[in-house]
Amino acid sequence: MEPQPRQPEMRSPPLRRFAVLGCSSLIGLSLGGCLGEMATPMGGLDRQLEQAGSSQAPALAGRWLALIGGRGGRDQVLLVDVERALPVPLPGLNRPDAQPLSVAVSRDGNRLAVVRQLDGRTELVLYRRELMAVEAIAMQPAGVPRRVSLRADGRELAVEVSRGGHWQIDLIAIP
Amino acid sequence: MLAASLLIAVAGCGSWSWGRRSAGPSGLGEGDRQDPALSGNGRVLASIVERGGRDTVILQEQPSGRLLPLGPLQRQQPHRSPSLSWNGRYLAVLVQQGGRRLAVIEDRATGRLHRLPLPADLEPQRLSLAPDGRRLAIEVVRSGRAVVQMFDLAGLLEADLPGGLPATGGEPAAPQP
Repeated sequence: MEPQPRQPEMRSPPLRRFAVLGCSSLIGLSLGGCLGEMATPMGGLDRQLEQAGSSQAPALAGRWLALIGGRGGRDQVLLVDVERALPVPLPGLNRPDAQPLSVAVSRDGNRLAVVRQLDGRTELVLYRRELMAVEAIAMQPAGVPRRVSLRADGRELAVEVSRGGHWQIDLIAIP
Repeated sequence: MLAASLLIAVAGCGSWSWGRRSAGPSGLGEGDRQDPALSGNGRVLASIVERGGRDTVILQEQPSGRLLPLGPLQRQQPHRSPSLSWNGRYLAVLVQQGGRRLAVIEDRATGRLHRLPLPADLEPQRLSLAPDGRRLAIEVVRSGRAVVQMFDLAGLLEADLPGGLPATGGEPAAPQP
């Protein structure tokens, strides 16, 4: 793990750090003991996530972890470089009036598919990090998206959609 | 008016230019399908359907929609939050055992089921398996707060990399009522 600059907003009290370390150790013992093989907790990254506030809806691809993180009641999409244990900026994606519900990331970390609530409706958007651009993907026929999954190359997504009281799955190719 | 019409037309064309299709019939009727997860190469789709009153993960080859068989996982319902590796060799999912929910990974090439129990005070909610099978992220709830925990699986699973062989998991599964 590489040294990183101090980020005041991610500091946490020593007691919390100790508690997280203890939890990670417990998990490691549990997994190692039950499996005889190693599923090793990534303690350093876990501590980073803990310090960033609540975190949920993880999605892994390549060296990237996309998730929904929040502090103080405001959730936003986060993208973390797992190998460097560092968050990377997502300019133009997060909005103070949006509530993300689900996120997926491509293997190169360039494309993120996000389901979010905005202005009283739920929408699916594709964010291209290199372009810092957000593009809405309409549901056709009309429906309300919920969870999304992205193929590793980011060229196709699967999204769970509510239509007429039923949950369906649409597959959408992305140019 | 003309400008507005053109805008609508262009927007419509833009949307339709994105290839869309339904995941296709699951062979299990017209019930709900939830929790989609594509394999890294997009050739396998996992989703959750209700079977016999219990949420059950199904795997479908894409784009044919052909159902693929499951190994030991088919007896571990209810299932939740499936996630697939690159070629679909590994299927990670949350299962319920007694009063506890735990993460498991089925190796469809060997039929082996890896159980990943967590400490009793951690309730797993969602998971994601990295396409190469080297890492697993689990959202857990601890003391009422959701936190993502990361695990390195390099010592547990053989990597499932691009260009690897698809894990067939045996004969094609027959649709069940």
